[in-house]
Amino acid sequence: MPALVPAPMLKIEFETYALANGLRVILHTDRSSPLVAVDLWYHVGSKDEVPGRTGFAHLFEHLMFMGSRHAPYPAFDAIMESWGGHNNGTTSNDRTNYYEIGPRNLLETFLWLEADRLATLPEVITAEELEKQLKVVQNERRQSYENRPYGRAELAIPEAMYPADHPYHWPTIGSHADLEAATVDDVRAFFDRFYRPSNASLVVAGDFDPAQARALIDRYFGWQPKREPPQRAPHPATPRLAANVEITLTDRVQLPRLRLAWHTPALFAPGDADLDLAAHVLGGGKSSRLYRALVFERRIAQDVFAYQGSQMLSSVFHIGATAKPDHDLTEIGAAVDAEIARLAAEGPTEAELARARNTHLADFYKGLDHLQTRADLLNHYQNLLGDPDGVGRDVARYADATCASVRDAFARALAGKRLAMQTLPDPVTA
Amino acid sequence: MTSAPAVGPLPSVVPPTADRFTLSNGLEVVTVRREVAPIVSAALMIRSGAGNDTPELSGLASLTAEMLDEGAGTRDALTLADELERLGADLWLGSGRDGSQLSVQAPHDTFFAALDIAGDVLVRPRLSDSDWARVLADRKTANAQRRDQPEAVVSVVSDRLLFGEAHPYGRPVEGFTRTLERLTLDHVRAFHQTHWRPNHAFLVVAGAFDEGSLRARLEAALGAWTGSPPPEPAAPPAWPARPRLCIVDRPAAPQSIVRLVAPGTDRLSPDRPGLAMLNAILGGSFTSRLNFNLREKNGFTYGASSSFAFLRRPGSFAARAAVFAESTAPAVREMLSELAGLHERPVTSEEHAKARATLLMRVAEGLSTTGGIAASFGDIGLYGLPLDEPLRFVAALERTTADDLRALASRYIDPEAACIVIVGDRAAIEPGLRDLGLPAPVICDPDGDKL
Repeated sequence: MPALVPAPMLKIEFETYALANGLRVILHTDRSSPLVAVDLWYHVGSKDEVPGRTGFAHLFEHLMFMGSRHAPYPAFDAIMESWGGHNNGTTSNDRTNYYEIGPRNLLETFLWLEADRLATLPEVITAEELEKQLKVVQNERRQSYENRPYGRAELAIPEAMYPADHPYHWPTIGSHADLEAATVDDVRAFFDRFYRPSNASLVVAGDFDPAQARALIDRYFGWQPKREPPQRAPHPATPRLAANVEITLTDRVQLPRLRLAWHTPALFAPGDADLDLAAHVLGGGKSSRLYRALVFERRIAQDVFAYQGSQMLSSVFHIGATAKPDHDLTEIGAAVDAEIARLAAEGPTEAELARARNTHLADFYKGLDHLQTRADLLNHYQNLLGDPDGVGRDVARYADATCASVRDAFARALAGKRLAMQTLPDPVTA
Repeated sequence: MTSAPAVGPLPSVVPPTADRFTLSNGLEVVTVRREVAPIVSAALMIRSGAGNDTPELSGLASLTAEMLDEGAGTRDALTLADELERLGADLWLGSGRDGSQLSVQAPHDTFFAALDIAGDVLVRPRLSDSDWARVLADRKTANAQRRDQPEAVVSVVSDRLLFGEAHPYGRPVEGFTRTLERLTLDHVRAFHQTHWRPNHAFLVVAGAFDEGSLRARLEAALGAWTGSPPPEPAAPPAWPARPRLCIVDRPAAPQSIVRLVAPGTDRLSPDRPGLAMLNAILGGSFTSRLNFNLREKNGFTYGASSSFAFLRRPGSFAARAAVFAESTAPAVREMLSELAGLHERPVTSEEHAKARATLLMRVAEGLSTTGGIAASFGDIGLYGLPLDEPLRFVAALERTTADDLRALASRYIDPEAACIVIVGDRAAIEPGLRDLGLPAPVICDPDGDKL
């Protein structure tokens, strides 16, 4: 078969520097469309929350759209949409990002809006705005988890995997009770602690002149005071399950689903990429082992999946399979275990490894076609490695993996204790 | 620093150059170069989809598309999937209302190898009994699982009530359980033989392909594919009478899924650019009237929106929101009031300017990725539009005035004409809906059968 494009071609050109106040700036030009993207990451996520205020980092993200001193609500959205721009924000365990995309003539507007909310948000936030966004977020929780098939399992897995004092114990969306307990003082304190230039990185990508962008960034962000990066809670102990955990839930679903989960090495730690490749061999696409055995040949499962859920503090390896009508999770579990044992003992074949690696590389190329994805990747590497130039290092992890390294990482991780969670049809509502 | 900076003029939107040629078998090919990433996207559009399914055999077009890559030429289903993955290629087959599609996306070094496999899939699918039994069983199970997904249920039920079951858009692309019971592999073979023909198709290749050899490689991969186009399907029936209110009961549901549907218009309508702008104002942007009212002002929902489905035959207008169960009646009231509001509070000049800029930049953004280019030109081919359609659309956006939008609102937006479909906890929401003055609801099951 023909070789894929060699990895060294994978590069995102950029220039980077820091302002005196610590804001990291990364500029990436692409003149192929008259568009510009501003992508601002704050290095704070739900892992920085405390028990009793779960879901706060994400709720806070919503409040960032509720106005600032010179752009009172709803100016943030109204101004940019009036010129054809759009924006959003996302929160994960590990970070919060905000981005704007629009015509190149909006670059200065985007920078002004981001800078103004970084400088002045606590001055204008009110209890009414907090209350309104609380309702929006509670609807988001219902829409994304509570009223979605198998959504209850998504909320329950982190709780079962991590001890109560580990910041991955709670889901990013938080609990209704904690969300309702949030106060304006909490908002101000959270902002004060984490929303500092020294805890952020700013990517400008697209059709712009770098010298002009530097001047604009200086004007809007350069005057903001220097403050030290936030103090972090000490790195929690590496989590482990003391014993196998079995949990059974019910949900409004037609078919039972089995979820298995193990603790695995953190993002970029040794073994992380190997486990990503192992997940592909097991459950990535039609030619994967679980699909072949459970869906194609034995026809006992409606769907199967496997993934390495990579995160900064520690990761979780997931397997899932949904039983076909007239089959049960005992049968599914036995068939999954047989495939796990075989991969742990024998490792992937050369052909399987090549397939997993090429699929991964091709997905990378596809991401590079998209301006906002490139901007987000630069920030991802900055957040993770302290250096935006991470593409080569990232891809090399996959290129360097061997059948033996995938086998060993998989065998080691899955020899640990595991969570087995069954979701069964609720006899009343399903 | 304290006041909003000046904003210069919007950049002009310049769609990429498209080249066109015809293969020896009559297949029209359009190519668009883009060299930002080393990938190629190809979209082969077939001008028949679920809209060509008969009521008895609903689901046939999409099952035909799904069967084609279950083994083709010398490769069985798993070997075929395995080889594509080794090439880093994605192959996707499926059907929509008006068309079916085979798409390939691959790194440029492996694109031609992936294209050869796609050629086998098109021309030499195996269509074996054993694969058919598995694919059909999977589809039946997936259809049964649809009732788990309230957003899917509301789509099936609202289309069925708006278009009627005699209209092909009134039936789900995936079919009903009862129509799947009737489908056989012979139906699939016949659909493939009749509809998947080169002079009933259109191919777009976008990205970093090798220009020198593209045509020869396409001839080699697809040249053996021949046949004549199928007959035109009969015209569908007119809009049937529809109920004002329908509830699909989902006891104890924490949210109600609300959908308001009404007749819209077709893909070739000269009103399409203006309606796209009007929709941006009503429910097609974050600051739209619907989202601002339901999400930002009232906190009823995570998001409210609206859209027109512009199809070969006139499609639907829909407004939608997933709301707190206890906010169902006030949310419906506010949604109806925003439809009426387009008449009581006509489009302002600020809204008109926003809608124009929003749509212009959506065109630019849609054409800013290889996959987006393939999708945009695929759509052009599916509906037989001229290749300069993006430029024509841009020109139409630029000449549409605020008065034009007001006139379109009076022709297309009528709160009294909307059919309201809600998937939610009937016992909890019905009293509030009655208090709004709505008639007693029709009660349907998740397939839209009246109970």
